[in-house]
Amino acid sequence: MSVPDYMQCAEDHQTVLVVVQPVGIVPEDQFFRIYKRIASVAQVSIRDSQRNLYIRYRHHYLPENNEWGDFQTHRKVVGLISVTTCGSAKEWPQTLDRFHSQKEVFGATLYDSRLLVFGLQGEIAEQQRTDVAFYSSYEDCPNVEKRVEDFVESIFIVLESKRLDRATDKSGDKIPLLCVPFEKKDFVGLDTDSRHYKKRCQGRMRKHVGDLCLQAGMLQDALVHYHMAVELLRSVNDFLWLGAALEGLCSASVIFHYPGGTAGKASGRKPSLAQGQGQAADAGKRHRPGALTANGISADTSSEIGRAKNCLGPEDIIEKYKEAISYYGKYKNAGVIELEACVKAVRVLAIQKRAMEASEFLQNAVYINLGQLSEEEKIQRYSILSELYHLIGFHRKSAFFKRVAAMQCVAPTIPEPGWRACYKLLLETLPGYSLSLDPKDFSKGSHCGWAAVQMRLLHELVYASRRMGNPGLSVRHLSFLLQTMLDFLSDQEKKEVTQSLENYTSKCPGGMEVLTLPDGLKLPPVAFTKLPIIRSVKLLDLPVSLRPHKQKGLLENNMSTKSPFIYSPIIMHTRGEERNKKIEFQWVQGEVCEVQLMVYNPMPFELRVEHMGLLTSGVEFEALPAALSLPAESGLYPVTLVGVPRTAGNITVNGYHTSVFGVTSDCLLEGLPSVLTSGCVVEVIPSLPRLQLSTSLPRMTRNLCPGELSSSVSVQLFNGETQHLTITLENIGSEDLETLEVASKTCNTKEKLFGEFLSWDLDEAVSQLPLKPGQSVTLTVNIKVRLDFSGGENLLQDLNDDGISVTGLPISSPLRQVLKPRAETKPLGSESSKTDYNHVKTLEAVMTFKYSGGAGKVEGYYRDLTLGVHVDIEPSVFFTRVSTLPATRTRQCHLLLDVFNSTEHELTVSANNNQDLVLHASECQRMAIQVDKFDFDTLPQPDQEALRYTNPKLLEEERLHAQASMINSTLAHPSVRRQGEASVEGVLNQLVLEHLQLAPLQWDVVVNGKPCDCDIIADCRVGDAVPLEVKLTNRSKNAVGPFALTVVPFQDYQNGVQNYALQDAVTFIGSNTFYIDTVKPTENSVCMGALLFLYTGDFYLNIKFQDDSAGQGKELPPSWFGLPSVHIKALEAPIEAGA
Amino acid sequence: MAVCIAVIAKENYPLYIRSVPVQNELKFHYTVHTSLDVVEEKISAVGKAMADQRELYLGLLYPTEDYKVYPSHMIIVYYTPVCMFFILIENILLYRHTRYGYVTNSKVKFVIVADSSNTSLRDNEIRSMFRKLHNSFTDVMCNPFYNPGDTIQSKAFDSMVSAMMVQAS
Repeated sequence: MSVPDYMQCAEDHQTVLVVVQPVGIVPEDQFFRIYKRIASVAQVSIRDSQRNLYIRYRHHYLPENNEWGDFQTHRKVVGLISVTTCGSAKEWPQTLDRFHSQKEVFGATLYDSRLLVFGLQGEIAEQQRTDVAFYSSYEDCPNVEKRVEDFVESIFIVLESKRLDRATDKSGDKIPLLCVPFEKKDFVGLDTDSRHYKKRCQGRMRKHVGDLCLQAGMLQDALVHYHMAVELLRSVNDFLWLGAALEGLCSASVIFHYPGGTAGKASGRKPSLAQGQGQAADAGKRHRPGALTANGISADTSSEIGRAKNCLGPEDIIEKYKEAISYYGKYKNAGVIELEACVKAVRVLAIQKRAMEASEFLQNAVYINLGQLSEEEKIQRYSILSELYHLIGFHRKSAFFKRVAAMQCVAPTIPEPGWRACYKLLLETLPGYSLSLDPKDFSKGSHCGWAAVQMRLLHELVYASRRMGNPGLSVRHLSFLLQTMLDFLSDQEKKEVTQSLENYTSKCPGGMEVLTLPDGLKLPPVAFTKLPIIRSVKLLDLPVSLRPHKQKGLLENNMSTKSPFIYSPIIMHTRGEERNKKIEFQWVQGEVCEVQLMVYNPMPFELRVEHMGLLTSGVEFEALPAALSLPAESGLYPVTLVGVPRTAGNITVNGYHTSVFGVTSDCLLEGLPSVLTSGCVVEVIPSLPRLQLSTSLPRMTRNLCPGELSSSVSVQLFNGETQHLTITLENIGSEDLETLEVASKTCNTKEKLFGEFLSWDLDEAVSQLPLKPGQSVTLTVNIKVRLDFSGGENLLQDLNDDGISVTGLPISSPLRQVLKPRAETKPLGSESSKTDYNHVKTLEAVMTFKYSGGAGKVEGYYRDLTLGVHVDIEPSVFFTRVSTLPATRTRQCHLLLDVFNSTEHELTVSANNNQDLVLHASECQRMAIQVDKFDFDTLPQPDQEALRYTNPKLLEEERLHAQASMINSTLAHPSVRRQGEASVEGVLNQLVLEHLQLAPLQWDVVVNGKPCDCDIIADCRVGDAVPLEVKLTNRSKNAVGPFALTVVPFQDYQNGVQNYALQDAVTFIGSNTFYIDTVKPTENSVCMGALLFLYTGDFYLNIKFQDDSAGQGKELPPSWFGLPSVHIKALEAPIEAGA
Repeated sequence: MAVCIAVIAKENYPLYIRSVPVQNELKFHYTVHTSLDVVEEKISAVGKAMADQRELYLGLLYPTEDYKVYPSHMIIVYYTPVCMFFILIENILLYRHTRYGYVTNSKVKFVIVADSSNTSLRDNEIRSMFRKLHNSFTDVMCNPFYNPGDTIQSKAFDSMVSAMMVQAS
């Protein structure tokens, strides 16, 4: 006996062996169908006894093994069922012959046999035989099971009779010596009459009877017989049979203790189909001692207590097994028996959960030499060792042996290596090395398991699958190896592995589909999340000019209230939320969006990543893949992946897609806990138009103001100059531009700016809306720079001859004294201060173009386009000093300006009255401009913003904006052909302003129906009454008066003498004093009188007044009473009247 | 003679493994790996009884002397175009080697594989080797720059192990 049955277990000792074999030509699948049906009858309860017969079916059994049937009766083939096909009656005799010859093979040991004939048509002209059954086809054979049961019963009858036969003839005739095949020659010529020999015969027969009892379902009797056999055989040192008796004892005890069986689920006994459910339920009980009532055959059946005594305890079973195995070990030829005993013992120990001892048995089994084994047997042996190790929980050992078995499958000595089997076995070793082929198990936390061993196994899997002719599998395994074992691979190995991966993928590119093996194992896809390693994922906002903004009015609708509280200090913070956090900014449909990844290459060589793109969900997204090449062991490397959302909605960036070494992988972020991200959900808003801006001025590259600008222009101007800027806006998007708004904002600057810096007229541009894609619109913007032209007080001293220049006040003014020291306190103009005027100043503003259109406009979004305007202002002229001189007319005055040309060019200055003044470079000259006085009140009140100026002086200046424009002087640079305007706005100080102001009380003197002023000479005739009218208009805010006016005529001799004694020359008609009542604001009062000139000559009227408003307590300022002096020329009366 | 000394983390992956015939290191990886079955079995068996006072020394893991020798050598050499896989060059039955185990209270395991073919080590010799190993391992753990769970890269530990291998021979 050379072939061990590794599947044996202790309870097989109670079974009878039936061989089921095909005869003639039987299709394999049909045979196995019938075999299965036959094998389902594994347990038959005998009708008239309460015993069970267990049957073991084999479709293949070596006759060689059958020869050991006497040694252990369960090895003996007692039944034969032949399955055959017989089409017609003609073939029948031939078939029968074959059946008989098959019977011959096991003939010596067979109790009974059956022949199942299928497919027979017609009748057989032969008498009915009990051992033959006919069926028309393999499908139509309903009573096969029944027939098998009958067959089993017939076997039982033979068995029972044999048992009784052997059990009773104890003291009868000579007991034959049972022996195993290899013993036969040893006993030749032995004295058969010796006591020793007899004892041996007895002992062996006892043991044999014990076997039969066990098979016949009489466990108790079997125990007794085994005990007796052990004692008999021990005394004669018949070790082989002693071992068998001990093993029999163990088996019986095991059957008693573990009615569920020791073989595990796979070979667990199925209740016979013939048995009802109820019987199946109490099948277990059948083994209980109580239920085991002997059939009265053995009269001295012990009581239950006796049974328990005869039966071995769990500890003893192992002891006896050990003993038995050690006895078997003495015989080289009993290797198979020893091995099988070991396996059985291990199964028992596995049930008892005594792994350590089981491993010792197994260790022993490993060393049992069965001589030269075939490769197939070796494989079987290693597999079974692996299974047994698995059974006792030694998974690593199990995996080790399984792997050895796998290697055995492809050993070089095998002519046709079974790579498929090797691969299958290798797959089974995976759990033992705590390796799963799902990369997800490796993504979290640290690596688990023994990397060196795991790596080797993966290499083997790769190789085996390649040799199997399944490159897809090799690619998958190799990718897995690379992904999970990257940390453990040396640089050299990394190179080799990637090279071979590239080799494989050139034939079969790796993908993301799940590979399913024929046996149902699924190989999940491997995503190369480590090639390259991603450190962070950041969704980028659109460039400033493309960012959408929500209309303010619609903002409230956008506010979602998750909580009923307006404010809560408790922030609902849940883990993982960050990843799903919605990002503040928005993306726009149809616009290229960017996601920035920080990647690095862990490999010691350049890594080429192709087709790197984004994986998104929620919105139709067109990813634009990128290819990158990362240098060896690069540091963090920013990679920007782009794509275009095609629809609106919320988009979630789930991961990215790569193709490395020919393996495409979809890396999902949720599987990468180490990736930093600030949120992956972004709202995509409907598409908006897109404007491109171009200007007539050169662009400037650097940005000026803080904040981002779409573009900016730069220009250099002289102070006071104006420049036109043409802006062309082209709609380069796909949506119509429907609205356009322009606004500007001057950046914070220390410089004081007069007038509007940027001005434009949008109407024309707006009239062209909506703007179709591709169309453009132009807008002209005037850039006016008017900074402070004042030189301050510390300007050039050379013109500062005396204080008079600043005054221009009436002689009586006390302010003249006030002013003078002020000038003196100023430090004299130094050279350093001069250079200040050459300093280039800058002015910056941002123009904002707000535009919207298309679907985005409906949603309330708009876009901003910003244009920065940067102006470098070179100084042109300065008004170093300003003063006034009263003009001859009360309603005018002279403004004296000291103009300093700070440029390097000659320039012409012209004021209102076209007095051109040519100034050479760095020249300073004084120019006088005659200006009309102003009435501040009549100027439009600045808007309410002016009220903010608490300082009345500032308020004053504010008001001056409009007024100052009237006295702007025009500048011209003839040499450079540039011109501009200079404003005196900032130059005028309080004193000057007072002089430029019209008095609040306005006096109008009308002589002879003609309004009079200083330089207007009224004509009248001597002797005629000259009507004189004095009108007072009150422009102040308070009521004034009452006043008394006295008109005093005088004559100026132009030599400083003024003659007031004119009573003879001029006479008044009526009073020369007028009384004016209180004049309310904005009202006027008129006094009428008349003069009569008696002589010709030039007369002046001095109108004096007297403030009668006693009790008011406040003096009105003298400047309020700037009365015109009236010059009247009395002419000779026409002579013709007298002539 | 100790031919292989291994330190295995609580999670059963090697923190340190060193063997004398360097060219066949993988063989010892397998040897030590399979020994873990017994180590775990022993720990779980003892652990139930008295977790605190159990002895750290586990004794012989796979005794071999008592059994017969099964000389089966499998040498399979695979050659792939790209890299050479010596898939299995080993004697599956490591009959000359005896394995001893030791477990610290933090479930870090030490395994010593001894070559028992020429000299057999006495039990107390093995014990003292383990104690030394444990002390040295404690020193490694005390290093503030060592992260528990990393592979051990310590010159002191290395030299101690090589001394042990030489001395024991």
